[in-house]
Amino acid sequence: MNLDIGGPGPGCSSMRVRRLLAGELTGVEKERTEAHVASCRRCAAVQEELAAEREALRRDVPFPQFAAAVAEKLAHRPHRSFAARWAPLAAAAGLALVAGTLLVRRPAETDTVRSKGAASVQLFVRDQRGVHELAPGGRVGEGARLLLSLQPAGRKHAAALLVEPGETSVIYEGPALNGTLPQAFEWTGSGVATLLVVLSDTKVDAKSIRSAADAPAGADVLQVPLRR
Amino acid sequence: MNVRGLRVVVGGAGEIAAPGAPAPAGLLAELYEKHAAGVYGRCRYLLKDEAEAKDALQDVFVKVLGALPEFRAAASPTTWILRIATHHCLNLLRARRALWRDQLRMAQAGRRQETESPDRRELVRLLLALASEEAQEIAVLYFVDELTQAEIAQETGRSLPTVRKRLREFLAGAREALGVELQGGDL
Repeated sequence: MNLDIGGPGPGCSSMRVRRLLAGELTGVEKERTEAHVASCRRCAAVQEELAAEREALRRDVPFPQFAAAVAEKLAHRPHRSFAARWAPLAAAAGLALVAGTLLVRRPAETDTVRSKGAASVQLFVRDQRGVHELAPGGRVGEGARLLLSLQPAGRKHAAALLVEPGETSVIYEGPALNGTLPQAFEWTGSGVATLLVVLSDTKVDAKSIRSAADAPAGADVLQVPLRR
Repeated sequence: MNVRGLRVVVGGAGEIAAPGAPAPAGLLAELYEKHAAGVYGRCRYLLKDEAEAKDALQDVFVKVLGALPEFRAAASPTTWILRIATHHCLNLLRARRALWRDQLRMAQAGRRQETESPDRRELVRLLLALASEEAQEIAVLYFVDELTQAEIAQETGRSLPTVRKRLREFLAGAREALGVELQGGDL
């Protein structure tokens, strides 16, 4: 008995059909492949297989589910270099960013505030220079958009607040997302301010927080100074 | 929302995009549209498990997003991304090679009673269990993706004689396992 287990045929290649449909072929190669596929039963069968693949994808893994799962996996990847870690996440999350310096401020340990694990935050800025991470001590320009990214290190709840002299504004309150917050913001004030991030195992009432000392017992509190 | 000192930009996270970069929200969508079906198909074919295939699909795209410069520089992004998918799935299969070989043994036992030709793709998948790592990848490129030996040599950076040798090794192992003569492509 002699079994044929396939392989490329004269002019036939499933990869070439894929590449044709993906728009990767040009010039003579494209024309030749189109002409071949139009009259080849084997390649017609490949086209049917590819159509079935597309149908299976739409049925089993619709785009929103796919995008969410990819973003989730990116967020939980082992931390490597900043650029390697964030560039792909940015792509998946709808961001593209330029590597910068990690900017994390931890308050001194007090009776009500403790540090745990590797909880950290990063603040990305979009201004006239493009997108970059806010450098330590860097100024925030007028009209700059700011986006906060959390690495909660297992904490369940988070709150982010903009603390200015005499005024505290809630930026975010909710689950401790691993990655960027859903909303960007602008700091429209002047002088100095502090971005205060509270990461806690218990629910955080953001409105009750005016400073790090108001954070729930055992919470991580991270502070990013802003100046203009 | 406008509070003193703060303006929340609803949905503004997506606006933070580097100049010159493609619309990032569209990047994943574009990758999905162009390549996810093929990758999912490859994962389903090799892993034979829907849940595992979905998981592998996501893992492959995580890898792709981590290697965008290579992806963009590839002569054929479709070939490149399918190779990533194949490599990923073969690694998963190698981790449970015993089960993979059991499946081959069952297919061998079943074949002795069959009169019809088996599904050739499924046969290739099972026979991969017997091959070396290098031969596995080359065999998938040849028998599944149907690249010529010259195309495989160019794609993998191996010499043409090496590609031919690995394919012949694969066929020899397959012949021994099945006890029948095999042919494929121009081998």
